[in-house]
Amino acid sequence: MLSTMERCLSRALTATFEELALICPDTKLSDVQSAAVLDVAVAVSFDGPLSGRLVLRASSRILPGIAKNMLGTDGECPFAVQRDALGELANVICGNALPMIGGVEAVFVLSAPHEYVTGAEPHRCTPVSRACIGIDDGRVVAQLLLSDDSLLSLGLTAAAA
Amino acid sequence: MAFNVLVVDDSAVMRTMVVRTLRMSGIPLAAVHEAANGEDGLRLLSEEWVDLLLLDINMPVMNGEEMLQRVRANPETRDIRVIVVSTEGSETRLANLQSMGASIVHKPFAPTTLRNTILSVTGVSDAEYYGAVPIAGTDSDF
Repeated sequence: MLSTMERCLSRALTATFEELALICPDTKLSDVQSAAVLDVAVAVSFDGPLSGRLVLRASSRILPGIAKNMLGTDGECPFAVQRDALGELANVICGNALPMIGGVEAVFVLSAPHEYVTGAEPHRCTPVSRACIGIDDGRVVAQLLLSDDSLLSLGLTAAAA
Repeated sequence: MAFNVLVVDDSAVMRTMVVRTLRMSGIPLAAVHEAANGEDGLRLLSEEWVDLLLLDINMPVMNGEEMLQRVRANPETRDIRVIVVSTEGSETRLANLQSMGASIVHKPFAPTTLRNTILSVTGVSDAEYYGAVPIAGTDSDF
Protein backbone atom coordinates (compact mmCIF):
# COMPACT_ATOMS: atom_id res chain seq x y z
CA MET A 1 0.00 0.00 0.00
CA LEU A 2 2.75 2.43 0.97
CA SER A 3 4.70 1.84 -2.24
CA THR A 4 1.49 2.36 -4.26
CA MET A 5 0.98 5.69 -2.50
CA GLU A 6 4.56 6.66 -3.26
CA ARG A 7 4.11 5.82 -6.94
CA CYS A 8 0.84 7.76 -7.13
CA LEU A 9 2.34 10.79 -5.45
CA SER A 10 5.43 10.69 -7.65
CA ARG A 11 3.33 10.44 -10.80
CA ALA A 12 1.08 13.33 -9.74
CA LEU A 13 4.08 15.48 -8.78
CA THR A 14 5.91 14.98 -12.08
CA ALA A 15 2.84 15.34 -14.31
CA THR A 16 1.72 18.52 -12.55
CA PHE A 17 5.06 20.26 -12.95
CA GLU A 18 5.30 19.14 -16.58
CA GLU A 19 1.83 20.31 -17.59
CA LEU A 20 1.12 23.25 -15.33
CA ALA A 21 4.59 24.73 -14.86
CA LEU A 22 5.85 23.58 -18.27
CA ILE A 23 8.98 22.16 -16.65
CA CYS A 24 10.53 18.76 -17.23
CA PRO A 25 11.76 17.91 -13.74
CA ASP A 26 14.71 15.66 -12.96
CA THR A 27 13.60 12.50 -11.20
CA LYS A 28 17.20 11.59 -10.37
CA LEU A 29 18.65 14.47 -8.38
CA SER A 30 22.17 15.83 -8.83
CA ASP A 31 24.35 16.50 -5.79
CA VAL A 32 23.58 20.23 -6.04
CA GLN A 33 19.84 19.56 -6.18
CA SER A 34 19.96 17.09 -3.29
CA ALA A 35 21.77 19.64 -1.15
CA ALA A 36 19.43 22.52 -2.02
CA VAL A 37 17.64 24.02 0.96
CA LEU A 38 13.86 23.56 1.18
CA ASP A 39 12.88 26.94 2.55
CA VAL A 40 9.31 27.41 1.33
CA ALA A 41 6.40 25.15 2.23
CA VAL A 42 2.69 25.12 1.41
CA ALA A 43 0.00 22.63 2.39
CA VAL A 44 -3.42 21.51 1.22
CA SER A 45 -5.65 19.75 3.75
CA PHE A 46 -8.22 17.21 2.58
CA ASP A 47 -11.21 15.46 4.04
CA GLY A 48 -13.33 12.57 2.82
CA PRO A 49 -12.86 8.79 2.97
CA LEU A 50 -9.28 9.68 3.95
CA SER A 51 -8.20 12.86 5.71
CA GLY A 52 -4.84 14.51 6.06
CA ARG A 53 -2.74 16.96 4.13
CA LEU A 54 -0.29 17.25 1.29
CA VAL A 55 2.79 19.33 2.03
CA LEU A 56 4.89 20.70 -0.81
CA ARG A 57 8.34 22.03 0.10
CA ALA A 58 10.57 23.80 -2.39
CA SER A 59 13.82 25.69 -2.74
CA SER A 60 12.86 29.36 -3.01
CA ARG A 61 15.52 29.93 -5.68
CA ILE A 62 13.45 27.97 -8.25
CA LEU A 63 10.13 29.69 -7.52
CA PRO A 64 10.63 32.74 -9.83
CA GLY A 65 11.05 30.45 -12.86
CA ILE A 66 8.03 28.33 -11.92
CA ALA A 67 5.78 31.36 -11.43
CA LYS A 68 6.96 32.96 -14.68
CA ASN A 69 6.16 29.80 -16.61
CA MET A 70 2.74 29.40 -15.04
CA LEU A 71 1.73 33.02 -15.54
CA GLY A 72 3.44 33.52 -18.87
CA THR A 73 5.13 36.72 -17.77
CA ASP A 74 8.62 38.01 -18.57
CA GLY A 75 9.21 40.04 -15.42
CA GLU A 76 9.79 38.65 -11.96
CA CYS A 77 6.63 38.04 -9.89
CA PRO A 78 6.42 39.17 -6.26
CA PHE A 79 7.23 36.46 -3.72
CA ALA A 80 3.57 36.21 -2.64
CA VAL A 81 2.60 35.33 -6.21
CA GLN A 82 5.43 32.80 -6.42
CA ARG A 83 4.13 31.15 -3.26
CA ASP A 84 0.57 31.17 -4.64
CA ALA A 85 1.86 29.41 -7.73
CA LEU A 86 3.45 26.75 -5.53
CA GLY A 87 0.16 26.49 -3.62
CA GLU A 88 -1.79 25.88 -6.81
CA LEU A 89 0.68 23.18 -7.80
CA ALA A 90 0.14 21.56 -4.38
CA ASN A 91 -3.61 21.75 -4.89
CA VAL A 92 -3.40 20.01 -8.27
CA ILE A 93 -0.96 17.36 -7.03
CA CYS A 94 -3.24 16.61 -4.09
CA GLY A 95 -6.37 16.50 -6.25
CA ASN A 96 -4.72 14.06 -8.63
CA ALA A 97 -3.04 11.81 -6.07
CA LEU A 98 -6.12 11.25 -3.88
CA PRO A 99 -8.33 9.40 -6.40
CA MET A 100 -5.38 7.13 -7.19
CA ILE A 101 -5.11 6.28 -3.48
CA GLY A 102 -8.72 6.53 -2.28
CA GLY A 103 -10.46 5.24 -5.43
CA VAL A 104 -12.24 7.04 -8.26
CA GLU A 105 -15.65 6.96 -6.54
CA ALA A 106 -14.37 8.77 -3.45
CA VAL A 107 -15.33 12.42 -3.03
CA PHE A 108 -12.72 14.59 -1.28
CA VAL A 109 -12.99 18.17 -0.11
CA LEU A 110 -9.74 20.10 -0.45
CA SER A 111 -8.89 23.23 1.49
CA ALA A 112 -7.33 26.26 -0.13
CA PRO A 113 -3.51 26.01 -0.14
CA HIS A 114 -1.84 27.77 2.77
CA GLU A 115 1.66 28.47 4.02
CA TYR A 116 2.89 25.49 6.02
CA VAL A 117 4.78 25.78 9.26
CA THR A 118 5.90 22.48 10.77
CA GLY A 119 4.13 21.75 14.02
CA ALA A 120 1.61 24.57 13.63
CA GLU A 121 -1.19 22.42 12.15
CA PRO A 122 -4.14 21.69 14.44
CA HIS A 123 -4.52 17.98 13.62
CA ARG A 124 -1.81 15.38 14.06
CA CYS A 125 -0.97 13.53 10.86
CA THR A 126 1.61 10.90 10.00
CA PRO A 127 3.76 11.05 6.85
CA VAL A 128 2.99 8.04 4.64
CA SER A 129 4.70 8.81 1.36
CA ARG A 130 7.20 11.18 -0.17
CA ALA A 131 8.28 12.09 -3.68
CA CYS A 132 11.03 14.37 -4.88
CA ILE A 133 12.03 16.12 -8.11
CA GLY A 134 14.94 18.33 -9.11
CA ILE A 135 14.47 21.60 -11.00
CA ASP A 136 17.51 23.62 -12.10
CA ASP A 137 19.68 23.87 -8.97
CA GLY A 138 16.84 23.34 -6.51
CA ARG A 139 14.34 20.66 -5.57
CA VAL A 140 10.73 20.07 -4.65
CA VAL A 141 9.52 17.50 -2.13
CA ALA A 142 5.90 16.39 -1.84
CA GLN A 143 4.81 14.61 1.31
CA LEU A 144 1.45 12.98 1.96
CA LEU A 145 0.32 12.83 5.58
CA LEU A 146 -2.72 10.94 6.87
CA SER A 147 -4.74 11.21 10.06
CA ASP A 148 -4.73 8.33 12.54
CA ASP A 149 -8.30 7.36 11.52
CA SER A 150 -7.28 7.19 7.88
CA LEU A 151 -4.26 5.05 8.72
CA LEU A 152 -6.53 2.66 10.61
CA SER A 153 -8.99 2.47 7.72
CA LEU A 154 -6.11 1.44 5.45
CA GLY A 155 -4.91 -1.12 7.96
CA LEU A 156 -1.78 0.89 8.74
CA THR A 157 -0.33 2.14 11.99
CA ALA A 158 1.67 5.28 12.61
CA ALA A 159 4.67 3.14 13.48
CA ALA A 160 4.48 1.17 10.23
CA ALA A 161 4.08 4.37 8.18
CA MET B 1 -20.35 36.99 -32.02
CA ALA B 2 -17.92 37.93 -29.24
CA PHE B 3 -18.21 35.94 -26.01
CA ASN B 4 -18.55 37.31 -22.50
CA VAL B 5 -16.70 34.94 -20.20
CA LEU B 6 -16.65 34.41 -16.45
CA VAL B 7 -13.74 32.54 -14.83
CA VAL B 8 -14.44 31.34 -11.27
CA ASP B 9 -11.48 29.94 -9.32
CA ASP B 10 -10.19 30.71 -5.83
CA SER B 11 -6.61 30.73 -7.11
CA ALA B 12 -5.56 34.03 -8.71
CA VAL B 13 -2.69 32.18 -10.39
CA MET B 14 -5.05 29.64 -11.94
CA ARG B 15 -7.46 32.38 -13.08
CA THR B 16 -4.54 34.09 -14.83
CA MET B 17 -3.55 30.83 -16.51
CA VAL B 18 -7.10 30.15 -17.65
CA VAL B 19 -7.60 33.70 -18.95
CA ARG B 20 -4.28 33.55 -20.81
CA THR B 21 -5.29 30.28 -22.48
CA LEU B 22 -8.69 31.77 -23.23
CA ARG B 23 -7.09 34.74 -24.97
CA MET B 24 -4.87 32.40 -26.99
CA SER B 25 -7.74 30.05 -27.82
CA GLY B 26 -8.96 31.97 -30.82
CA ILE B 27 -12.50 32.64 -29.65
CA PRO B 28 -13.63 36.23 -30.11
CA LEU B 29 -13.86 37.76 -26.64
CA ALA B 30 -15.90 40.67 -25.37
CA ALA B 31 -15.55 40.96 -21.57
CA VAL B 32 -13.64 38.54 -19.34
CA HIS B 33 -14.85 38.60 -15.72
CA GLU B 34 -13.24 36.85 -12.75
CA ALA B 35 -14.59 35.66 -9.40
CA ALA B 36 -12.89 33.86 -6.49
CA ASN B 37 -15.80 31.63 -5.39
CA GLY B 38 -19.28 30.50 -6.37
CA GLU B 39 -21.07 33.20 -4.41
CA ASP B 40 -19.10 36.02 -6.06
CA GLY B 41 -19.63 34.25 -9.38
CA LEU B 42 -23.42 34.20 -8.94
CA ARG B 43 -23.40 37.88 -7.96
CA LEU B 44 -21.49 38.68 -11.12
CA LEU B 45 -23.91 36.61 -13.21
CA SER B 46 -26.82 38.66 -11.83
CA GLU B 47 -25.11 41.85 -13.00
CA GLU B 48 -23.43 40.88 -16.27
CA TRP B 49 -24.40 38.89 -19.35
CA VAL B 50 -22.15 35.84 -19.61
CA ASP B 51 -21.98 33.34 -22.48
CA LEU B 52 -19.31 30.99 -21.18
CA LEU B 53 -18.50 30.00 -17.60
CA LEU B 54 -15.17 28.39 -16.66
CA LEU B 55 -15.61 26.95 -13.19
CA ASP B 56 -13.42 25.37 -10.51
CA ILE B 57 -14.98 22.95 -8.01
CA ASN B 58 -13.10 23.10 -4.70
CA MET B 59 -13.54 26.68 -3.53
CA PRO B 60 -14.28 28.33 -0.20
CA VAL B 61 -17.63 30.06 0.56
CA MET B 62 -19.50 28.28 -2.25
CA ASN B 63 -18.04 25.45 -4.30
CA GLY B 64 -18.42 25.03 -8.04
CA GLU B 65 -20.92 22.17 -7.82
CA GLU B 66 -23.37 24.29 -5.84
CA MET B 67 -22.83 27.28 -8.10
CA LEU B 68 -23.57 25.14 -11.16
CA GLN B 69 -26.79 23.83 -9.55
CA ARG B 70 -27.92 27.41 -8.93
CA VAL B 71 -26.94 28.51 -12.44
CA ARG B 72 -29.05 25.71 -13.93
CA ALA B 73 -31.97 26.43 -11.60
CA ASN B 74 -32.18 30.09 -12.67
CA PRO B 75 -34.12 30.64 -15.94
CA GLU B 76 -31.88 33.65 -16.66
CA THR B 77 -28.67 31.63 -16.57
CA ARG B 78 -29.62 27.98 -17.14
CA ASP B 79 -28.42 27.88 -20.77
CA ILE B 80 -24.92 29.22 -20.15
CA ARG B 81 -22.19 27.02 -21.58
CA VAL B 82 -20.06 25.68 -18.71
CA ILE B 83 -16.59 24.15 -18.61
CA VAL B 84 -15.48 22.78 -15.26
CA VAL B 85 -11.70 23.21 -14.88
CA SER B 86 -10.76 21.21 -11.82
CA THR B 87 -8.54 18.60 -10.24
CA GLU B 88 -11.71 16.68 -9.40
CA GLY B 89 -11.10 12.96 -9.84
CA SER B 90 -14.24 11.50 -8.29
CA GLU B 91 -16.26 9.80 -11.02
CA THR B 92 -19.39 10.26 -8.91
CA ARG B 93 -18.93 14.01 -8.80
CA LEU B 94 -17.82 14.26 -12.44
CA ALA B 95 -20.91 12.35 -13.57
CA ASN B 96 -23.10 14.74 -11.59
CA LEU B 97 -21.41 17.77 -13.18
CA GLN B 98 -21.78 16.28 -16.66
CA SER B 99 -25.45 15.54 -15.99
CA MET B 100 -25.81 19.28 -15.44
CA GLY B 101 -24.40 19.92 -18.91
CA ALA B 102 -20.83 20.82 -17.99
CA SER B 103 -17.81 19.86 -20.04
CA ILE B 104 -14.80 18.82 -17.99
CA VAL B 105 -11.15 19.83 -18.28
CA HIS B 106 -8.92 18.13 -15.79
CA LYS B 107 -6.07 19.99 -14.04
CA PRO B 108 -3.22 19.86 -14.84
CA PHE B 109 -4.27 20.72 -18.38
CA ALA B 110 -2.20 21.28 -21.47
CA PRO B 111 -3.19 24.68 -22.96
CA THR B 112 -4.28 22.90 -26.16
CA THR B 113 -6.70 20.70 -24.19
CA LEU B 114 -8.45 23.70 -22.68
CA ARG B 115 -8.37 25.52 -26.01
CA ASN B 116 -9.93 22.57 -27.86
CA THR B 117 -12.66 22.23 -25.23
CA ILE B 118 -13.42 25.96 -25.42
CA LEU B 119 -13.64 25.77 -29.21
CA SER B 120 -15.85 22.68 -29.02
CA VAL B 121 -18.21 24.17 -26.42
CA THR B 122 -18.52 27.54 -28.15
CA GLY B 123 -18.74 26.05 -31.63
CA VAL B 124 -16.00 28.35 -32.92
CA SER B 125 -13.78 26.61 -35.44
CA ASP B 126 -10.11 27.26 -36.17
CA ALA B 127 -10.98 28.21 -39.75
CA GLU B 128 -13.61 30.70 -38.56
CA TYR B 129 -11.03 32.52 -36.48
CA TYR B 130 -7.89 32.21 -38.53
CA GLY B 131 -9.56 32.21 -41.95
CA ALA B 132 -9.05 29.58 -44.62
CA VAL B 133 -5.63 27.97 -44.42
CA PRO B 134 -3.82 28.49 -47.74
CA ILE B 135 -2.83 25.29 -49.45
CA ALA B 136 0.85 25.27 -50.33
CA GLY B 137 1.52 25.36 -54.05
CA THR B 138 3.96 23.13 -55.84
CA ASP B 139 6.28 26.02 -56.61
CA SER B 140 7.53 26.31 -53.05
CA ASP B 141 11.21 27.05 -52.59
CA PHE B 142 11.33 24.59 -49.73
